[in-house]
Amino acid sequence: MKEEALKVIEEVLKSGRTSLVEYEAKQVLKAYGLPVPEEKLAKTLDEALKYAEEIGYPVAMKLMSPQILHKSDAKVVLLNIKTPEELKEKWEVIHENARKYRPDAEILGVLIAPMLKVGREIIIGVTEDPQFGHALMFGLGGIFVEVLKDVTFRIIPITERDARKMIQEIKSYPILAGARGEEPADIDAIVNLLLKVSELVDDLDDYIKEMDLNPVFVYEKGKGAVVVDARIIVKEPTEKKEEIITEYRERCA
Amino acid sequence: MVEKIVEEMRPFFDPKAVAIIGATNKKGKVGNVIFENFKMNKERGIFKGNIYPVNPKLDEIEGYKVYKSVKELPDDTDLAVISIPAPFVPATMKDIAEKGIKSVIIITGGFGELGEEGKKLEREIYEIAKANGIRVIGPNCVGVYVPDTGVDTVFLPESKMDRPKSGPIAFVTQSGAFAAAMLDWAAGAGIGIGKMVSYGNKLDVDDADLMDYFIHDEGINVVTFYIEGVKDGRKFIEAAKRITKVKPVIALKSGRTEYGAKAASSHTGSLAGADTIYDAVFKQTGVIRAEDFEHMFDLAKAFAALKDKLPKGDRIGIITDGGGAGVMASDAVAKFGLKMADLSEETLKYLKENFPPHAVAGNPTDVVGDTDAERYRIAIEGFVNDPNVDAIVVIVLFQVPLLEEEKIIDILAEYQKKSNKPIVAVAMGGKKTDHYARILEDKGVPVYPTPERGVRALAGLVKYAEYLRRGA
Repeated sequence: MKEEALKVIEEVLKSGRTSLVEYEAKQVLKAYGLPVPEEKLAKTLDEALKYAEEIGYPVAMKLMSPQILHKSDAKVVLLNIKTPEELKEKWEVIHENARKYRPDAEILGVLIAPMLKVGREIIIGVTEDPQFGHALMFGLGGIFVEVLKDVTFRIIPITERDARKMIQEIKSYPILAGARGEEPADIDAIVNLLLKVSELVDDLDDYIKEMDLNPVFVYEKGKGAVVVDARIIVKEPTEKKEEIITEYRERCA
Repeated sequence: MVEKIVEEMRPFFDPKAVAIIGATNKKGKVGNVIFENFKMNKERGIFKGNIYPVNPKLDEIEGYKVYKSVKELPDDTDLAVISIPAPFVPATMKDIAEKGIKSVIIITGGFGELGEEGKKLEREIYEIAKANGIRVIGPNCVGVYVPDTGVDTVFLPESKMDRPKSGPIAFVTQSGAFAAAMLDWAAGAGIGIGKMVSYGNKLDVDDADLMDYFIHDEGINVVTFYIEGVKDGRKFIEAAKRITKVKPVIALKSGRTEYGAKAASSHTGSLAGADTIYDAVFKQTGVIRAEDFEHMFDLAKAFAALKDKLPKGDRIGIITDGGGAGVMASDAVAKFGLKMADLSEETLKYLKENFPPHAVAGNPTDVVGDTDAERYRIAIEGFVNDPNVDAIVVIVLFQVPLLEEEKIIDILAEYQKKSNKPIVAVAMGGKKTDHYARILEDKGVPVYPTPERGVRALAGLVKYAEYLRRGA
């Protein structure tokens, strides 16, 4: 688990970047058993057509570039591609959009992904607090996080009980529990996600700076969840500081 | 085996002999007030140790021999309290190290909080302390107050600041001003403080050390913290998890407002304000967060009296002699996430059989305005025996004409003692009420001036009991 994830991170650091593109981030998540869609990175149009065939139409296309972190702003996410003809046409469009947005954009490829059934959107995040270390965030996506900031935090590592409490304590919990006749969401799948992110970050805490799994689709009870988009920001691992002076600086800075 | 931390901290709270470095006979000076505190407590027979003033310019202060330097101090000295100007402290620390004194309280300010020069001094002190195994409280603090042993380094004279009586509450604060105001207030409110520690710049001894110490302090039932910031977060978390399994910790964290979106590129980073993170830490470690100063001491008071009889659940029974107060308490039960107990049939029957027809058996039970103390006894007896009730709020409006004050106080104290359910009292009123409330508290029943505050304190007990049962 750790080795596979580290391989991805080391490669990114070697290329002089600290921000993982979606594909790379998902490789890291996958190494820890987080549910990510069956998607493939196509370097050429032929590859793209082949992958789309394997995955089965309709597919989604997402262009991967370290310079384009906000993919929808750059219009490099194209959805619901139904035929090989359409894919060929959109292959040009997506590259054109990327060039328009950032002429210098380095293009790593185009992610060919299955069209996912929409679920209730949640967001899971990680940030590093200067006092307490890595903190895990959970909330519902969309307006719940953007406008209402209805999120909750725990310091990593968390226990299963922490995970369950996090889910229950957000104000929008009734939406997950099944309000107004809706089926309840797969809470156990969310618990599992939170625990796995905690494990991942605890393992790689020297490397991980920030992480956003946003959105994650959660389906009905028993039907699981899937990470739709992910971002990870990493850092060069710091050496352990042991000298008295350094310890002093930490305490008295 | 005695824990290392207990050994290390003992001289701060109960020294064999204290050296007061910078003691002076000039009235009002810090070095004078601290000396006077110890001297006075010695004369009162509370402080049992020896007192050694240190000052190169004096031979004696008020009959006490003054030592010219630390090197001359008798060998039983195990605590040094320093109140000399900052630039002289490092040299004194060297002498202290040579002398083998292992506990030092540095009252002096003008260190890290003043910038680079002060930080350099602090660093020197830290290195000497670390290299010689010396524990340091401070600098830039008011130090320690322990009413039972007479240790009092609070440099505000008794003429300006009252000292609280002894009690099972520990109070820890970064801010010295807050420490002084709190002690003065606690004294006025009749709240007992067993140990107060103000650690200022936290050069060495910090929250985590104190939590580890208080685990073993049998005189302390509850530890309260006024926190501005934590430096070693992991150490704090680990220590907090250890102590909350043994005794409750209440934290008042200032700086609640967001410190704005940090330079964070992710969603999560921009949402993680300092306060949100502290909330998470407190939740995970079982530390109970106080909303404000009042809440902190309302909780502390409840835990001090009731730590050993925590409620088994969240079902609250309310007894009142005023309808309105009963409604306010019921609202508070909902507001603070508790439940109103459903009284059993037997209890309702018992109450109705023993009450006059106009008293209201139920929850709340209203013994009404013509009540005497005996009617309260019936109500309390019913609630205590009802398996559906986990904790009891008794609202006593002492103003009603037929209520015998001493009798109701005795009844409450009696049931507090013999029942395993926690009872908190609410008494609204003025001077006369305060008088009775104080007597009631001395008998082990925490009293609150409004139903809301009483129920909120009880909610803290319920929350902590739940934590002990199930973990964070």
